[in-house]
Amino acid sequence: MSNLSPRARSVNGKHTQVAIYSMHGEISSEQAVLGAIQTHSKRVWRFGLALSGASDVADDLLQSTCLRALERHHQVTSHERLDSWLMTICRSIWLNEVRSRSVRKAQALSVTPEAELVATGPDTETNIFAAEVFTQVMQLPEAQRETVMLVFVEGYSYREAAALLEVPIGTIMSRLSNARQKLKTVMQHEAADAVRRSGK
Amino acid sequence: MKFSDETLLAYLEGNLDEAEASAIENAIETDPELEQRLMALDPFAPVVQSVFERVPTETPVVELPEPLTAEPVQPMGGGLRLLAVAASVGVIAVSATFWATRTQPMGWAEQAAIYQSLYVPDTIASLDSSPQALEAQFALAEEQLGRSLNRAELEALPGMELKRAQVLSFKGKPLVQVVFADEQGQPFAFCVIRQGEGAPSKDVKQAVLSGLATATWAQDGYGYMLIGNSDKTDLSGQLDFLTTSFAG
Repeated sequence: MSNLSPRARSVNGKHTQVAIYSMHGEISSEQAVLGAIQTHSKRVWRFGLALSGASDVADDLLQSTCLRALERHHQVTSHERLDSWLMTICRSIWLNEVRSRSVRKAQALSVTPEAELVATGPDTETNIFAAEVFTQVMQLPEAQRETVMLVFVEGYSYREAAALLEVPIGTIMSRLSNARQKLKTVMQHEAADAVRRSGK
Repeated sequence: MKFSDETLLAYLEGNLDEAEASAIENAIETDPELEQRLMALDPFAPVVQSVFERVPTETPVVELPEPLTAEPVQPMGGGLRLLAVAASVGVIAVSATFWATRTQPMGWAEQAAIYQSLYVPDTIASLDSSPQALEAQFALAEEQLGRSLNRAELEALPGMELKRAQVLSFKGKPLVQVVFADEQGQPFAFCVIRQGEGAPSKDVKQAVLSGLATATWAQDGYGYMLIGNSDKTDLSGQLDFLTTSFAG
C-alpha cells in the first residue's frame, strides 16, 4: 500500500494535519474505491442515464460499475480522480456489454423525461423549462450527450473529457459546439419567457 | 494569440466564422488557461447543470458484496447493527432491484476491523509517540469526539504501550482509533465512535471480525471497540480495565 497517496486534510486548521479515514500509506485501495462509490454514485448514475437514456439501465450500469470497480481495486495506484476511473468503467461496461442489447430501446429512446426526474421545483414554468432542457440534452446524439454530461454537468475540463472518452480535445470542442446549437433554441425561448414573465 | 471575452462568448454562441472558431480551438489545445476562461464563460453549462444536478433526486442505490478481506462475520448485536444502518444516511442504501439476495451493509465495527487487519508491527514501530505528538493527537481526537479519552488511563493500560490516537470517520461520524503496541510489538487498538445522543447502550459483545478478536459495546451515545492482533487475542484484561474507565 506504500504507493498510495494520503488524503490528509487539516481539521479546523488546528493542531496538525490529520488524516480523515487513514494516515499516510495505510488506506487500502478497497477502502478508497468504497469511498469513491459513496461519493460519486450520483454522477455515475447520471452518466449512465446520459449514455443509455433510460433510468433502469442507469441503475444497472451503476450497479455493475461499482462491482467492477471493487473487483479491480488493486489496479488503483492513486486515490486522486477515482471519479474519472468510475466513469471510464461505466462507459466501458455500456459500450462492451450493455449497449448492444439496449440499442433497440435506445433508438426509441424515451425522450419524454420521466417527470419525477426533473420536476422538483415549486415553479411550474421553471419545471417546464427544466423538462425541455432535459429532453433536448437527451435527444442529442450519444457522443454529444456523453460529452455534455461530462463537461457541462460534471465539470470536467475539455482535456479531462477527451482523456476519459479517448478522443482528441478538438472533438470534444466540436461536439460541444454542435450541442450548443441545438440547445440554443430552447434557451432562447426561456430567455424570452423570462423577459415576458418579468413584465419588461 | 489573445482572445477577448466578447470573442470567446461569440464562439460559444456559435456566432464566429469557421476560421475564427478554429483559431480558438487550436489555441485551447495547448492553453489550459484559455480553456478555463472559455469554460467559465459558457452560458450553456450552468443551465444544463442546474437541470441535471437534481437528477437523480435520491442517492442511487448500490448493492455491494461483503468485502473479500473479511472473515465470515459473527453475528453482532441486533441493536448495534440497526444503529450502524441508521447511521448510514445517504450512503449505500439497500436495493433488491437487481440482486435477489441482500447482504448486510457493513457497520463501523466491521470497517474498523478491516482497517485494523492491515496493521503489522512495522506500521506502529515507526510512529511518533512523543508526548508532544500524543498531546496534539489527543487534543484533536477529544475535540472531534466531544469527550475525554482518559489518556492517563490509556497510558496505564496493562501490557500496552500507547502509540497514537488517530481521527477517522465512519459515515460522517467521528471515529477515533487509539493504537497500542503489546509486549511483542503487535498492534492493538481501542476505537471510540460518537453515535449521537439517544443511541442505545449495548453490553459487551465479543466476535472475530476480519480475523481479529474484537469486543464492542456502546454507552451514552458512544460506541467502543477493542481489536486484538489475531483471532486468539485474549481481550479480557483490557476489557475489564476499559469498560470501567469508559463507563460513561
